[in-house]
Amino acid sequence: MSDGPRIITAHWGDERVIPYEGYVRVGGYEGLRRALAMSPEEVIAEVKASGLRGRGGAGFPTGVKWSFVPQDTGKPTYVVCNFDESEPGTFNNRELVEREPHQVLEGIAIAAYAIRSNLAFIYCRGEFLWPGSVLRRALEEAYEHGVLGERVLGTDHRLDVVLHRGAGAYICGEETALLSSLEGYRGQPRQRPPFPAIEGLYASPTVINNVETLCFVPHILRNGASWFTSIGTERSPGTKVFSISGKVERPGNYELPMGTPFRVLLEEHAGGVLGGRALKAWTPGGSSTPMLTAEHLDVALDFESVQQAGSMLGTGAVMVMDETDCMVEAVRRMVRFYAHESCGKCTPCREGTWWVSRVLDRIEAGYGRPEDLPLLEDLVPNLLFRGFCPLLDGAVSPVASGLRHFREEFERHIEERRCPFTGRGSATGVAEPPAPPAPQEPAPGPVPLSEVLG
Amino acid sequence: MSREPVTLTIDGREITVPAGTLVIRAAERLGIEIPRFCDHPFLAPAGACRQCYVEIEGQAKLVTSCTTRVAPDMAVRTQVTSELVRRAQAANLEFLLLNHPLDCPVCDRGGECPLQDQALAFGPGESRYIEPKRTYRKPIPLSPLVNLDRERCVLCARCTRFCDEISGDRFIELYDRGAGERVSIAAGEDFRSPFSGNTIQICPVGALTATPYRFVARPFDLSSTDSTCAHCAAGCAIRVDVRRGKVVRVLARDDVEVNDAWICDKGRFAFAAPDRPERVTTPLVRARGLEPASFQEVLGEIAARCRGGRVGILVGGRLADEDAYALSKLARTVLGTNDLDHRRAFHGGRAELLAAARPMSVTYRDVEEAAAILVVGLDAEQELPILHLRIRKAARRGARVFVLHARRTRLHDLGEHLLVRPGHEAFALERIREALAAGGDGPEARIAAALAEAGERAVVLAGPRLAEHPLAADVALGLAERVGARFALCARRAGDRGALRAGVHPTLLPGGRRVTDDVERGQVEAVWGPIPAEPGRDAMGILRAAAGRELDVLYLVGVDPLRDLPDPALARRALANAGYTVIQGLELGELEPYADAFLPAAAAAERDGRVTTWEGRPRPLRAARAPLGLSRPDWEIFVGLAEALGADLGLGSLEAIRAEAEPLLAPREVPVRSSAWGAAGPPQWIEERVLFTYPLLVDEGRLLEGATELKAALEEEPFAEIHREDAEALGVADGGWVRVRTSAGDAVVRARVGETVAPGAVFVPFNQPGLPVAELLAGRFTVGVHLEPAAEPAAEEVA
Amino acid sequence: MAVLTPELRAQAEAIVARYPRPRSAILPLLYLVQSVEGWVSPEGLREVAELLGLRTAEVEAVATFYTMIRPRPTGRHVVNVCTNLSCALRGGRDVYAAAREAAGLRPGEESSADGLFTVREEECLGACDGAPVMQVDFANHERVTPERARELLDALRRGEVPAPSRGAAPRDFRHACRILAGVEDLA
Ligand SMILES: Cc1cc2nc3c(=O)[nH]c(=O)nc-3n(C[C@H](O)[C@H](O)[C@H](O)COP(=O)(O)O)c2cc1C
Ligand code: SF4
Ligand code: FES
Repeated sequence: MSDGPRIITAHWGDERVIPYEGYVRVGGYEGLRRALAMSPEEVIAEVKASGLRGRGGAGFPTGVKWSFVPQDTGKPTYVVCNFDESEPGTFNNRELVEREPHQVLEGIAIAAYAIRSNLAFIYCRGEFLWPGSVLRRALEEAYEHGVLGERVLGTDHRLDVVLHRGAGAYICGEETALLSSLEGYRGQPRQRPPFPAIEGLYASPTVINNVETLCFVPHILRNGASWFTSIGTERSPGTKVFSISGKVERPGNYELPMGTPFRVLLEEHAGGVLGGRALKAWTPGGSSTPMLTAEHLDVALDFESVQQAGSMLGTGAVMVMDETDCMVEAVRRMVRFYAHESCGKCTPCREGTWWVSRVLDRIEAGYGRPEDLPLLEDLVPNLLFRGFCPLLDGAVSPVASGLRHFREEFERHIEERRCPFTGRGSATGVAEPPAPPAPQEPAPGPVPLSEVLG
Repeated sequence: MSREPVTLTIDGREITVPAGTLVIRAAERLGIEIPRFCDHPFLAPAGACRQCYVEIEGQAKLVTSCTTRVAPDMAVRTQVTSELVRRAQAANLEFLLLNHPLDCPVCDRGGECPLQDQALAFGPGESRYIEPKRTYRKPIPLSPLVNLDRERCVLCARCTRFCDEISGDRFIELYDRGAGERVSIAAGEDFRSPFSGNTIQICPVGALTATPYRFVARPFDLSSTDSTCAHCAAGCAIRVDVRRGKVVRVLARDDVEVNDAWICDKGRFAFAAPDRPERVTTPLVRARGLEPASFQEVLGEIAARCRGGRVGILVGGRLADEDAYALSKLARTVLGTNDLDHRRAFHGGRAELLAAARPMSVTYRDVEEAAAILVVGLDAEQELPILHLRIRKAARRGARVFVLHARRTRLHDLGEHLLVRPGHEAFALERIREALAAGGDGPEARIAAALAEAGERAVVLAGPRLAEHPLAADVALGLAERVGARFALCARRAGDRGALRAGVHPTLLPGGRRVTDDVERGQVEAVWGPIPAEPGRDAMGILRAAAGRELDVLYLVGVDPLRDLPDPALARRALANAGYTVIQGLELGELEPYADAFLPAAAAAERDGRVTTWEGRPRPLRAARAPLGLSRPDWEIFVGLAEALGADLGLGSLEAIRAEAEPLLAPREVPVRSSAWGAAGPPQWIEERVLFTYPLLVDEGRLLEGATELKAALEEEPFAEIHREDAEALGVADGGWVRVRTSAGDAVVRARVGETVAPGAVFVPFNQPGLPVAELLAGRFTVGVHLEPAAEPAAEEVA
Repeated sequence: MAVLTPELRAQAEAIVARYPRPRSAILPLLYLVQSVEGWVSPEGLREVAELLGLRTAEVEAVATFYTMIRPRPTGRHVVNVCTNLSCALRGGRDVYAAAREAAGLRPGEESSADGLFTVREEECLGACDGAPVMQVDFANHERVTPERARELLDALRRGEVPAPSRGAAPRDFRHACRILAGVEDLA
């Protein structure tokens, strides 16, 4: 196993770093101390120089984002830590919080100082009951030890951090939907521009960063920007915590330098494909990134290389499928997720994900028609980049990449009128085509979503 | 937002528009119609329906033109020149139609539906969607007026955005998400907003329909006329749709200077009154009973009674401007009297004089662009609903709004209220004026500071509640002048401002010229000939004179003194003792026993003319159909009466009236008078509890007759609104019964207890079903009152 | 009958005070109501609306957007089984079927007649390293087999609180909602 530098997972497994004292013992809050000794502008410059790019999916340079925050609006500024982690296959934020909660608090505190913010929020995914409680305890400790509150580490800087729990909506990870949700509205995305850095929470300048991104910040301040740029690739510096799951021997989070080949992650760290079977497909960054195949074993895992290979690094969440897995079922399951999570605001997303889901349901159940594949292929460009927000693009990814790499599996489902992997289908005894779930609402009043979408 | 011009090209054509303009609007200016569903020019951009895609050179993805603002040298291609855009729009249309039912033949929107039009123009012949469509129960009544058919809904959110952004009445919302998203209302609630009908009009499909119009007509059956709503002095632009001689629908027309794109539900749904069987459309004279006769005959008889006699004229608030002018001239030059009045209250003052002499001191646009607005004695939502929407718009744009009123209004979510007892407004205004210099930190000081800071961008809107204490209006005016604010005395009824301007007033002639001022009267006499020089009696004075047998003829034009004025007992005596009573209007109602002659007038929808908004802006009335029966416009009747008296008013046409009136009504300066308390002394400080009343938007008014669904949706049961402190002192419970006693009478009604009225004040709405509150009034709209808890009244006693 | 007692109202006010603007408290307040009722009833919606000065529809619009706010009566324990891709690849669908069966649910039913269980198919729970994942009242149980699912439900039926794979578990769904509202914490 090649052991690269571990930065933000270095103390994983050591439970002593969970409480405040243990965290401080391993150098915790040193980065914040350094930051407080600098001017906010210098802090931003340092993070900018490190080339740190957001780990939440889009890879936007963090220091640049911070530098957009205007200081002359007369409004307060806010920091929001995005801990909504809901992209299928992604689970590094959760473990970062569970194993070293103060690391992310330190990152938040540095970000708040850098943009002169006195109030930060952590938007914690609702289903993360325990991780949220870990954070809550860490927050209490931070207040007790003067890391948060009126005088941050004895300085004139004031900072409060509010833990806010979501309630089950993937779209609330999208930054503008997150803001709607945090303001108490339905979590629907908002028009950009204005970008949150200019008009975010309560129409005030706001920086939103992913948990993983913020975890790097203390280390950059402690060790300097040039240390960080010496790791990873030129345009994707540093390390990344890759989440790997599905058909592998050792699913888990592995922190590796950016640019590490996928083969190294799969074979050396995750122990290879489960049961020694052959690799069929993998997502490089969650289910919203186009699937790659065994041909792409040597793709380097950094923003640029994965893009060159025809996909996206996204959240660095790898889901592995082997030769025994049905790709129609995999695509169907992935699209169903997006149909379930579509916020409903825009037509192509609301109707398109519903439609594609229905067609895939039929094909998997052995009721596909030859014209369904041209139909799906025609829908792909009609949906891609046509939504209000990128959620819809994520829904298109599995369809487009599934058809691109595994069209013959779709054809076989249609020809044989059954799933070649499970044997189930209209040809083998399913009597009815799958009925779309009918909304039967006691109107007026709410219809449970499950009744609409099944 | 900077407004420098930006030049760009759309489909190769160059256009220059202000910076910040949306691409979809810029395209409209070139006559390029980009298809859209969620976009609405008066709502914030949503970008939800995704129909309005365009291509912008240099941008990889298509963008929605309803959310994209122009930039210098931008090159835009719409569906006109871009195949990619055409394909994207066709694809999106397919998505919209997936779950849309094919019930166009029975849909109210059929024939005027953008979705239908676009499906016809661009849609594929056949759907590629073979799965069953989503189904919902339908239609769901959201209120007695509005129905929702969710299957047709395209989830553009126009309706919910209207309720959020424009009216603030957030009764309906989008529920759930994804394919389950739908418009809904809370269980057990009604869409009880006086602006609900706008959501129907802006729904781009037939998802929202109006109960009074459901299945009534098809667009091609209708003949449409552009006109102005005559229900209040807001002056909204409307379109009146007539089917086989009957008005079946009223729609708002866009007018950025007045009503943007909105009207209230009264304007939209109260159109049935002129078609009721109670309408009288032939002249009547009293012989054995009231009997039909020709106009000539009836006018001849009235003329005979008037000749040499003493005539007093009471006028309602609904005359068109030309009617008012003709009547003013008739009264002065032919009937020889200044005893005419259109007002319910208000007894002189500089604010009134200014309103008569100088129109347009405040416009809707001034309100919209104001930095601070002080609303005094006005419940804008109920009295001038479209002004209310403009105030809300201003507040959303950052204006600070203050309301000085005896009762909380629907501006409470956006503005600060200062609840003052009716009659005490002048004192509160004085305190504001003092705070201008003295400062402080109470609400008066906040108002003073905001007005002073806003300066020219401050607006003071004074409403009818100041009418009983004319000095209060003058104090408000004085305050406005002190800070350099714009000031308007807001008329409520459509005819009020025009009648005031024309001199349907005992002491004012056209243009606010005073009867008693020889120079000013002379200016009118130069056009009209001699005018009596002694001031006339006001409305109550005319009634008292009639009651005292001092009038030979009582001439009632569009007014019912039993209902409209605050002393029904006096009105009854007046009607009984008047030598001869002439009624002119749409119907007789309770006045029938008193009428000696009846003159049938045309309804607003049956005639041409003008009305004047509260701002002073003239607005056109246009006949949507011919007058029923023999009825005719009021001005023609006045001209006919003059003829019967052997006089020629010289006002043979609307054009002739306007031509003669124009110079007299030109804006003129009025002499500055001291606005201190003046000779009359300060208004009386009433120590006892007072009852006050004003009409709510939907009441038992004559023009609302027949608007069944509107009344079901918005009318209130009678109630008395009491401040919690008073209720506790008296032992009255919220929702319990209370006896309301004044010197004129008493009634038992339900109490509404809260902090929504000023302590010491009791609000009872005017003219609600079951409670003719006028019977409790002793000559004023504010009277001393005694309250006590009461037992639930027996059925017949229920107010 | 009011949902929120005076004591809970005081807690609600403290929740509102956490935020610069009251409306931000809408989700914690819905959780608070849900911790009393086990779901959010129309009366609960009205009370939240009144606390925040909103119309009921505004609150209901928000409540129906989120899957963790329950629109109808719910079992004492909420069992969520992830069937998204990573868990499905590891047998999540069988776990879901087993959990439904163990709860005694008939097709189309979501909650058991005895009021003990609500079983839901969940989207990715962010713990794919432990696939297949099942949550009991939002406490994670990892690498769950159909047998293990049955055992867990049996334990719940006996009134036990089975230890989750990580951290601590709430007593039941209502307890979880108090934690989510931020008025109580996990042991
Ligand atoms: C549909 C959608 C879901 C997203 N979900 C998450 C999420 O769960 N967590 C996250 O950090 N970012 C998520 N993002 C990305 C955020 O919008 C945002 O870019 C990110 O939080 C910025 O942080 P970073 O710059 O540190 O990456 C999502 C984006 C989209 C379009
Ligand atoms: S009801 Fe009409 S206006 Fe409202 S969201 Fe639906 S389609 Fe749009
Ligand atoms: S998911 Fe809501 S706009 Fe795309």
